[in-house]
Amino acid sequence: MSAVSTSPAPTSAVPTSALTSAGQRRVLVLRCPDWLTGDEQEPGAAARAFEPVLAIVAEFCPQAEVLRPGLVAIAARGPARYFGGEEALAARLTEAVSRAEAFSQPGIDCQPGIDCQAGIADGLFAADLAARSGPAGLVIPAGETPQFLATVPVAALRCAELLFAVSGLPELTELLPRLGIHTLGEFAALPEAEAGSRFGAQGLIAHRLARGLDPRPLAPHPPRVDLSVEQAFEPAAEQSEPVVFTAKALADTMHARLAARGLACVRVKVQVVCADGRESSRLWRHDGLLSALAVAERVRWQLDGWRGGGPGPAGDAAPADGSGGITLIRLVPDQLVRATGHQLSLWGDAVVSDRVARAAIRVQAMLGHAAVTRPVLSGGRSPAEQVLLAPFGDTAVPSRPADQPWPDRIPAPAPATVYPQPQPASVTDSAGRVVSVSGRAQPSAPPAWLTAGHGPARAITCWAGPWPVTQRWWDPDHACRQARFQLITDDGSAWLAVLQDGRWLVEARYD
Amino acid sequence: MEVAQVISLSPARHRDDVLPGEGVLPVLPALAGLLPAGGLARGSVVTTEVFGLLSLALAADAVADGAWCAIAGVPAAGVRAAADAGLDPARLVLIPEPGRGWPQVVASLLDGFDIVLLCPPEPPPAQLRRKLEAAARRYGSVLLVAGDWPGAQTRLQVTGEEWTGLGAGHGRLRARKAQVVASGRGAAERPRSCWLWLPGPDGSVTVAGSVTAIGGAAGMSGAAGMASAGAQRMISSG
Repeated sequence: MSAVSTSPAPTSAVPTSALTSAGQRRVLVLRCPDWLTGDEQEPGAAARAFEPVLAIVAEFCPQAEVLRPGLVAIAARGPARYFGGEEALAARLTEAVSRAEAFSQPGIDCQPGIDCQAGIADGLFAADLAARSGPAGLVIPAGETPQFLATVPVAALRCAELLFAVSGLPELTELLPRLGIHTLGEFAALPEAEAGSRFGAQGLIAHRLARGLDPRPLAPHPPRVDLSVEQAFEPAAEQSEPVVFTAKALADTMHARLAARGLACVRVKVQVVCADGRESSRLWRHDGLLSALAVAERVRWQLDGWRGGGPGPAGDAAPADGSGGITLIRLVPDQLVRATGHQLSLWGDAVVSDRVARAAIRVQAMLGHAAVTRPVLSGGRSPAEQVLLAPFGDTAVPSRPADQPWPDRIPAPAPATVYPQPQPASVTDSAGRVVSVSGRAQPSAPPAWLTAGHGPARAITCWAGPWPVTQRWWDPDHACRQARFQLITDDGSAWLAVLQDGRWLVEARYD
Repeated sequence: MEVAQVISLSPARHRDDVLPGEGVLPVLPALAGLLPAGGLARGSVVTTEVFGLLSLALAADAVADGAWCAIAGVPAAGVRAAADAGLDPARLVLIPEPGRGWPQVVASLLDGFDIVLLCPPEPPPAQLRRKLEAAARRYGSVLLVAGDWPGAQTRLQVTGEEWTGLGAGHGRLRARKAQVVASGRGAAERPRSCWLWLPGPDGSVTVAGSVTAIGGAAGMSGAAGMASAGAQRMISSG
């Protein structure tokens, strides 16, 4: 770390002339709170929905870096000169994005027009904080970033955790105020060596951030060798699945080459070339943390967004229909840094062994992304609600926590066959009339016959119920009133049947 | 893509070809007595007559031991019941609709997963069965089939069941006592039967009676006898 104070590092592969006197590049950060506030139930869908915004940003600067869906950084110097100043650039960009049409965004509630804030400052961290300041963000003039940061409370270091994927900063933000250090300026005033010896590696990172520098310096001697990997497709690949499958193998190779030299990359650039010559190129934050599977996932997002052809203006993102398929994919590691030994644990990928991931991705290549799912236990009252299926590679966080009490849920044992769509059925009494349930939860007659789907009518030997469930009466779209029965038919099978809106359905079978 | 191509495409061999019986995946103690190897022999095919809790329970202990399980062709698999029986959903992958190319899908899954639970959408022809059996042997995986599979090493069948806890208009389902009969080839030729709680009151699968070899004088129920005769017939025809 001796070189830290003497050679503050640029964060991008821009020429040194683009840097400010403090050695930092000018960065514009665009935040779209719609993507950042929601609980991340489906990052894949969020990333795909964000692609149209990226298309707009790409009009201003083709080299946009996606920190995560909803958060984009671009190098501000070039576009600012073109658009007549940094304020003008920020204003034009926010206007263009906020006027964009409403996109179809599964899982994201977004009004026509998109809320966004843009901040410009020296370095990524300061630019993110500038974007958070004020309703539309701030532009911090060149060289004034340390003064801007000096008044910011140390709690702002929490934001850096998302930006740079460093851990341990929240603990520091709790510790520092107790030691009488309340602002980043006060922390930056400490000698760097003291910050390192007192607070460890996190302290050094936080100290660099507080001074307006990037969290870690670039490798002093970037290797001259080309570490990019590519794969041509002959004939061109029409579907994205084989490309994603190939991307995983390429990422494996890239990681192996980087690891052999003790390097990690801060960002990875994914280039995809179509048969008609069009090219899609995106930078994804990597930080040496992404597994090969996660890199393949980002390739999928990029292809989905590109092929989906959102309604955004034509940047480099255009629908690839009729383009003749994909002929080349290339992964270029960008901004090489010394690998400091991270665990591949982001998004729980580490628990999936390589062998399993390869088989699952190969099946996804045959059947499509959503055809291979991983189940997550979830809360809920009906058996089907208690399991959430997430496509392999996506993360699913159940919106209904499984560890909360769910009164009126069907008690154990759980049925082994749970129909994804309840099967139509008919339950009649001994006189052949359909059994109904009164408002006082009394059946009209003991159920005597069950016909499930197209099966034969079977005599009911044992039954219990009705167990009424009234759910979400405050939400007209999801409100439902149901009465559940457990039934045993004369062939020994046990069923979970439900009466809803006057119709009988079989939800599950105990077998 | 043919099944043979999928197999040859596999970039690296993880294990050498496994002969049946060489490696055994553990099963729940209640089921161990039914299987000739005391567990699921790697490279073997084990069938249950239909999909049900028995199929899920067979995979449970191996998954708890670190194996990965894929379920193909069963859109209605009850994951909660599987979890209650001991099958950790964190190492479970579902392919509800493997589509028309299901043999290729299954061959790919056998490459990566230790256990593949398959409900074939259609009865597979003999040639296809032999290819998938070869894939299971090559990768040392276990193919659990819910349905008929004439070349299977072991066949399990629920021949009798009785639910407790539910009356006429009162109570609730609490547990099922089920008789499971195992038959097969080789070491499993002599059918065995066992009464299990399938499931017990807490969803687990435990023994409700001792394992008996069928064919002796005592303890042979009519249903088990029929299963035994059926198994013998299949063995002689195969």
